[in-house]
Amino acid sequence: MTSIRTNQIMVAGSYPSTALHDLRLIPISRVDAKKLIVRNHYSHSLPGGTKMSFGTVLNGRLLGVMTFGVGPFYGYKLVDGATPDDVVTLTRLWLSDELPRNSESKVLGVALRSLKRDTSLKFVLAYSDPAVGHLGIIYQATNWLYTGLSTATPLYDIGDGTLHHSRSLAHQLGSHSIRYLTLQGINAKAIPQSAKHRYIYFLDESWHSRLGVPVLPYPKKERDIDGNN
Amino acid sequence: MEIIELPIETLKEAVWNVNQVDESMMQRLRVSITKYGLVQNLVVRQVAVGYEVLSGNHRLKLLKELYITMVPCVVVDIDDAHARLLAQALNHIHGDDDLGLRAELIREVLRVLPEKEVLAILPETPGSLSGMASMGQETIATFLQNWEKARAVRLRNLIFKMTQEQLLTIEKAIDQILPEAKRQQGISPNARGTALYLICKSFVDKEDKHDN
Repeated sequence: MTSIRTNQIMVAGSYPSTALHDLRLIPISRVDAKKLIVRNHYSHSLPGGTKMSFGTVLNGRLLGVMTFGVGPFYGYKLVDGATPDDVVTLTRLWLSDELPRNSESKVLGVALRSLKRDTSLKFVLAYSDPAVGHLGIIYQATNWLYTGLSTATPLYDIGDGTLHHSRSLAHQLGSHSIRYLTLQGINAKAIPQSAKHRYIYFLDESWHSRLGVPVLPYPKKERDIDGNN
Repeated sequence: MEIIELPIETLKEAVWNVNQVDESMMQRLRVSITKYGLVQNLVVRQVAVGYEVLSGNHRLKLLKELYITMVPCVVVDIDDAHARLLAQALNHIHGDDDLGLRAELIREVLRVLPEKEVLAILPETPGSLSGMASMGQETIATFLQNWEKARAVRLRNLIFKMTQEQLLTIEKAIDQILPEAKRQQGISPNARGTALYLICKSFVDKEDKHDN
């Protein structure tokens, strides 16, 4: 689940496009990444299982964050013979509107080239949430493969005022099985969530042929009868 | 608006002040005032008897502790509602540090001042301060190469959910084989993990022998 810009609109930033050359990607702590994501990303949350956090720096200012983490539990099964160690999921991407145009593709390109060169990871997954109007344009612009809508994992309501992710519920109560929880006297309900656009990027091209799901055309914005977006 | 020096005994803490400061933060404020003096005026308003402090209630406590007699104050003439609103505004209207610029600023400070002196004033731990100062000092390549090395040797988690009865049985089996597992610590420094491995290996070996 990623965000392109704070307000989701591609606007020219405060810095001229020549500043694109001066953009730097640096490793940052999870704590710093979380501060910026909670403050600026539309989700206002950083998921558990974050493995790497990078910051986007321009003229000394930290103006963007990109995090990679474990992502969906069975994400690795999209590729035949893969293990959880072969994949990371791009879990958050936020860049300030002050950054110049095309900053997203620049920093994503730097990150992917680095992962390819300096790790043994084989592929990266990313998800875009159509429920908030995201199609994954940045992934399309950087040549990821589109594999359709993912199966949406439900959230769980156990009556404590919070919707729980299945992983956090299993962590807290040992299981997210509705049947088991009901037997224990907990009134648990699964709240369906919208499916997300799923993209995959092969760091090791030789693994491309192992992709176990079809590659589909990129989703596009729907137009109204007059051809407007 | 006027700035005047007022006798400390005329200043009273606002009973409605909601801002709380714990002892570690008070200690930092104490060090700061001792080192740099009172560099920020208190904001007060005149009440029936003396002056009520709208901003600077914690500083007032420390000034009393330090036997300061005269305190520079900004005096405002506002009603109860505006006094509360101004206090909230003074506490909450502020910017956020850019983390990249802050890291460079901290590095500049640490080039001159010892870490201990910085930690006495800033609300940071040694770890958070050094983490801040090191931001951007490591290349992505170095970071990823270190990450790759670390994950190659990390011990893996295997999490099972089970009933209390099942857990007791497994714990009993682990306890029985634990002495042997401890003798084989070369496999892994985690003796209980090794114990579980030995139990499973014994089962698999037996099955394999049976199949053959």
